[in-house]
Amino acid sequence: MESNGGSTSRRAAAERIRRAIALINAVADEAGDEEITPTEIAEAIRDCLELSEVDRAPNVRRYLGEALDAVSDGMPADFVAMTLYAALGALREGA
Amino acid sequence: MKSAEGRGRTLDEAVDAALIELQESRRHVDVKILSETPEETVVEVTVIDQTAPSMGVAPAPANGKAELAKNLVEGLLKHMGVRAQVSVRAGADPITLDISGRDLGGLIGWRGETLRALQSVTNVMVGKHLAEGERVIVDVERYRQRREHTVREIAMRAARQVKMTGDAITLDAMQPFERRAIHLALEGDPDVTSSSIGEEPERRVVVGPRKSGGE
Repeated sequence: MESNGGSTSRRAAAERIRRAIALINAVADEAGDEEITPTEIAEAIRDCLELSEVDRAPNVRRYLGEALDAVSDGMPADFVAMTLYAALGALREGA
Repeated sequence: MKSAEGRGRTLDEAVDAALIELQESRRHVDVKILSETPEETVVEVTVIDQTAPSMGVAPAPANGKAELAKNLVEGLLKHMGVRAQVSVRAGADPITLDISGRDLGGLIGWRGETLRALQSVTNVMVGKHLAEGERVIVDVERYRQRREHTVREIAMRAARQVKMTGDAITLDAMQPFERRAIHLALEGDPDVTSSSIGEEPERRVVVGPRKSGGE
């Protein structure tokens, strides 16, 4: 059985991934209320990678790494978002 | 004209059952209630001739990209085991796909997250066929459209209150497309202004009085 700490840190990891996704969606939707740079998105993904929780479920770190590479390579926002959704799904499946 | 009989506990369920059989969307059919009891509703759903001028809605243009995206989403839903109908929204720019069917809440997900993920996957898969900056919007049971409508109403209410009190109002955290809808709804209002504060995903719109140029 998992301790409360485990579920809390997983929730924190999910929130960080969601934050990165929201930044990308803001770019894709042209929300028009903030200038979001690739550097900010990359920082948000790196924030996710800092959490040890991403190593407790298979593939989460891999997908986050791929998302970071996609940002560096200037891939479309949807591609980065799709990879982050995959990370979020892997985190849930690892629960 | 094609027609099918649908049965369900409610009118919606009965219509959905017939739509699935017909592989049609709600906008293209006529519904006739055959019987209605507390236990069961039976309807006859008939596909309307889309070339008829009386519809008042332009048929979807013969758009290869839209059809490609539609086929792709249909395939994805089939693999997901979701029984639903996909149609191209007529006259929509950008290309908009409407998914309709029964019990599609799971396809929308928490705050539209699953819907959003489906849209991202769709755009990645059809991306090479789209022009730069062109995107496909995926909507489930008009969720996105309803949300935009709701937030626009919230924006109008907030604007009225700001005009009465002169105080700024901070709205709940919203998704980017919702914030965009608010900014667009208020951009023409000479008395109020909107801006966003906070960080994703807790970013909120603030509606406040517009200051005069000299201030």
